[in-house]
Amino acid sequence: MRAARGIGLGAAIALLALVPWIASPTLVQFGITTLLLAALAQSWNIIGGYTGYASFGNSVFFGLGSYGTAVAMAQFDLPFGVGMALGAVLAILCALLFGFPLLRLRGHYFAIATLALALAITGIVSNLEIAGRNIGLVLPLLKGDWVFYEMALVLVVLVTAVVFWISRSRFGCALIAIREDEDAAAVMGVNTTRYKITAFALSGFFSSLAGGIHAYWITFVDPVSAFDISLNVKMIIMAIFGGPGSVFGPLIGAVILSGVSDLLSTEVSNMASLFFGAVIVLAVVFMPRGLVHVQQNFRRLRWRYFAQNVRNHRI
Amino acid sequence: MPPLLQIRDLSKRFSGLVAVDKVDFDIQTGEILGLIGPNGAGKTTIVSLISGTLRPTSGHLQFAGTPIAQLPAFRRAHLGIGRTFQLMKPFPGLDVLDNVALGALFGAGSGQRKLTQARDDAAYWLDFVELGHRKAQRADDLGGPDRKRLELAKALAMRPRLLLLDEVMAGLNHTEVDEVIAVIRKVRERGITILVIEHVMKAIQSLCDRLLVLHHGQKIAEGPTEAVLADPQVIAAYLGQRRV
Repeated sequence: MRAARGIGLGAAIALLALVPWIASPTLVQFGITTLLLAALAQSWNIIGGYTGYASFGNSVFFGLGSYGTAVAMAQFDLPFGVGMALGAVLAILCALLFGFPLLRLRGHYFAIATLALALAITGIVSNLEIAGRNIGLVLPLLKGDWVFYEMALVLVVLVTAVVFWISRSRFGCALIAIREDEDAAAVMGVNTTRYKITAFALSGFFSSLAGGIHAYWITFVDPVSAFDISLNVKMIIMAIFGGPGSVFGPLIGAVILSGVSDLLSTEVSNMASLFFGAVIVLAVVFMPRGLVHVQQNFRRLRWRYFAQNVRNHRI
Repeated sequence: MPPLLQIRDLSKRFSGLVAVDKVDFDIQTGEILGLIGPNGAGKTTIVSLISGTLRPTSGHLQFAGTPIAQLPAFRRAHLGIGRTFQLMKPFPGLDVLDNVALGALFGAGSGQRKLTQARDDAAYWLDFVELGHRKAQRADDLGGPDRKRLELAKALAMRPRLLLLDEVMAGLNHTEVDEVIAVIRKVRERGITILVIEHVMKAIQSLCDRLLVLHHGQKIAEGPTEAVLADPQVIAAYLGQRRV
């Protein structure tokens, strides 16, 4: 059973890796976007889903990854790998530096503070000479979308593997305990500060890698789009829609929502954002624990599952 | 032999309210000390000050020779202080076994490294409190009495030297109280020192070697159980309310 699952998973990844050689260029581009979003939703899952800290600062890590790569390549002619490393170091430093004060805040206050962090960093970066101020930077062009597609796929596999490990490790137990009841976790011997900051840094690390790949792919970064908060909102919606605190939920959420949103935005551009708004309202009311949880409970409870969730909200 | 826990001049103030007022006492290794007093006397606050959930406004706490007043809660857990919560705090997203395994993973000496080993330990402690048959259930599916046992198992899995029990018998019926008393006796036989907050008189009388009575945050009596329960001041402040 386990072996069969492993083989199935391996085959699925291999099939996905073949996409650039069989699918149309448009589909490959859609694939890159979706894979990057999946990697971001999965990164958010570490701090938001497992640890229970709804971060609005993950777009900062994405932006730092983008800018690390852009500055290294455009200003210093360094190779892409060095740029990614620079972006990752910046993101981890940022997570360690700001994680310490921010992760003392709980619930809404943490969300608001990370939102403020995102705005502040955007302001700082758009005044930095080395980052091209508010005009941005142009990166060298690399032809062949398949490179970006494969890199994004590797990233998704990597971050999912880490989340899988988290889900069955001592580290993950600590994160879940913090999410469920932080005071009780501390009394049981969990060094809550250390685990929260580690989770935040891990989440930031993977988000920054997605940023680096994205910057090199579109060959341009500017402060407003690199630190775009609506990207962070997307990560959250995708993770919550699929199932926060589960291994595959965020990926499923990313693929479904990215697909539907792409279809809608080709028809009417406003429809896509309207769609995301509707999805988040419906998801929170009917399935606050995501698709994965629906799948686990629907067979037993049928439609009562949704009714129960509605009742729990006391609407 | 020096006391396991030494408390001197301990005070806790919540803005205007003095919840604990210059309290001194010791807990000797191996004993069961009962902490009693009317509601709002500061009993739970003292347990929170010992476990590190709250920091004292002033005073000294020394556990096995180490000053702990400024240590965060998790370090005190590593030293060997375990507690239960009066308002039970299971981790609802985890099943019963993993709730207890957390104690084994992170408790005294910073716990087990391996999850499988911690789960084995957890199964042992669940059997110890006679909750083994509920292993696979979600913690929030348990009823009140079982949640009390779960709290106990979680704290025991931490392998504490000092166990702080905050009203583990409240809301239990007679049979259940007897069962929990038996479990606590078994705990003591393992050499674990215990501080109990309790209102159930039967439990106090049959378990505690000594009692400490709090009233308005102050210590009004301390001594052997029988003597304290006969003290007129104690009867006036606490027992009188019930026995009139």
